[in-house]
Amino acid sequence: MEQDLKRVKETALSDFSRYLSPMKVRTIKAAGLDIIEDKREGACVWDITGKKYIDCQTGSGIMNVGRRNNEIISALKDALDKYDIGVFLLCSKPKADLAKKLAEITPGDLACTIFGVGGGEANDAAIKIARGYTMKKEIIYTQKAYHGHTGFALSAIGRESYKEPFEPLVPGFKMIPFGDIEAFKKAVTDDTAAIILEPIQGEGGINIPPDNYLPAVRKICDEHEILLIFDEIQTGFGRTGKMFASEHWGVVPDIMTVAKSLSGGLYPISATIFKQEIQDFFIPHPFIHLSTFGGSDLGCVVGMAVIDYIQKNDLSAHANAMGKRFRSGFDRLIKDFPTLLLEVRQKGLMMGLQYTNESIGPRLTKKMAERGVIAIYTGNDPSICRLMPPLVITPEEVDYVLNALEDSMKELSKEAGLGKND
Amino acid sequence: MATKQDILEALADYQVQCNDNKRLRKMQRDWSKLIHFNADDTEDKFTMNCVKGEIVSFEAGAVGAPDIIVSAKSEYLCDMFWGDLNPSQKYLQGEIRVKASQEDIVRLDAITMIIWPDA
Repeated sequence: MEQDLKRVKETALSDFSRYLSPMKVRTIKAAGLDIIEDKREGACVWDITGKKYIDCQTGSGIMNVGRRNNEIISALKDALDKYDIGVFLLCSKPKADLAKKLAEITPGDLACTIFGVGGGEANDAAIKIARGYTMKKEIIYTQKAYHGHTGFALSAIGRESYKEPFEPLVPGFKMIPFGDIEAFKKAVTDDTAAIILEPIQGEGGINIPPDNYLPAVRKICDEHEILLIFDEIQTGFGRTGKMFASEHWGVVPDIMTVAKSLSGGLYPISATIFKQEIQDFFIPHPFIHLSTFGGSDLGCVVGMAVIDYIQKNDLSAHANAMGKRFRSGFDRLIKDFPTLLLEVRQKGLMMGLQYTNESIGPRLTKKMAERGVIAIYTGNDPSICRLMPPLVITPEEVDYVLNALEDSMKELSKEAGLGKND
Repeated sequence: MATKQDILEALADYQVQCNDNKRLRKMQRDWSKLIHFNADDTEDKFTMNCVKGEIVSFEAGAVGAPDIIVSAKSEYLCDMFWGDLNPSQKYLQGEIRVKASQEDIVRLDAITMIIWPDA
């Protein structure tokens, strides 16, 4: 039986390598992450061979309500008895219900929604709306930003290597350092349509801005009639201990994008939510931005169930409590392993461990995988480990992750190549 | 321990393997890097110049400002150039250290995968 499963696993990896991506298989194998996802439940996933892992990566924050949440599955099953994806040109109750719900739970006067399938599409829509509504062209974005790999969104990524092979990209994009208000002031011109920001940078390494940054950005936007776009795709839906990260600073954007965890990890959906006055752009051309599968009726039912679940179970509060539990463990680790762990950046269950050197991220990823924890360094910087477990993670699971980290660091501190970055 | 001459011979073979591989040359045609290799135990240094996917030269000594620095025991460097070890594995054990962007680290690994698929 065990041999059979191993054979199934090897075949799956070999086929994946041949028909999808050889380099991906090579890389994940080297990192000890050659897992064939099988059973999934709560904060955990099981490899096809039966090995259990606590998932602290969750597709960068897709699984806020946990993997295969029974209540969301039940809502989806009910929807399948009644609906299909729907026709994008027609209206439906699930679409209207979810758009209304998003207007209720998003901060301030965000009121209207365009649905999409993924995060990049949501950011594409946000940038198009900003240009269309303001009739201005320039979009400001930040270094290390991540907004997706689609057309407009790709132009706003703060990492050149994602963009260079595909140039020329959409013109009119200007990059500034994240958290630097003076740089923003200098970048503004009469033709600036919008600035797009993650309130906390995820892929960039869990970068939390200074407390005065987002309020100051809002003020400058107001002074110059620039739209403020918040990409809450990773930070939204309770991840940081509030429903949306921007609420930590009391700043309301003009446009907000959400995706990932709105899907419940079960049905893809994204949304671009904007203020009522911006709707005026769509009144003369209501069919200017369409998405065949965006806001499918099945996805909208799932989105509603996800929001209900987060609210009913107060997952924001749970994220705060579990975040504190993680934090006390991280503080111990910083004290015990100063040559490995430099600092922790954290809001709720959006957590970044800053290691002392770039070789540590890949090596700890492998050691954590050996101990049954998926914890991966960020794409932008291998000296940072991004931890974004499901918000339903239990205290016992938090302790397990902390123990795995401690054991991994103990082992790593005895190995070669530490304290050097050369 | 590998001598300077051992490593230069391995590098010569590596240059032939890379430059004769059409698939690799096409894949790496947008990649131009100056790479330094440091042997920790013997303190020997080597420079390799890769231009548009072709290894145009290599020599003993650290020449120019490198884009990538690879450091390891002389024996590991030698084995790596002969294709006798999996560099990813040694990298994850801290035995090979690379100072480079993530993209360049993946590129180095991609070269190995193409010329020695079983390494």
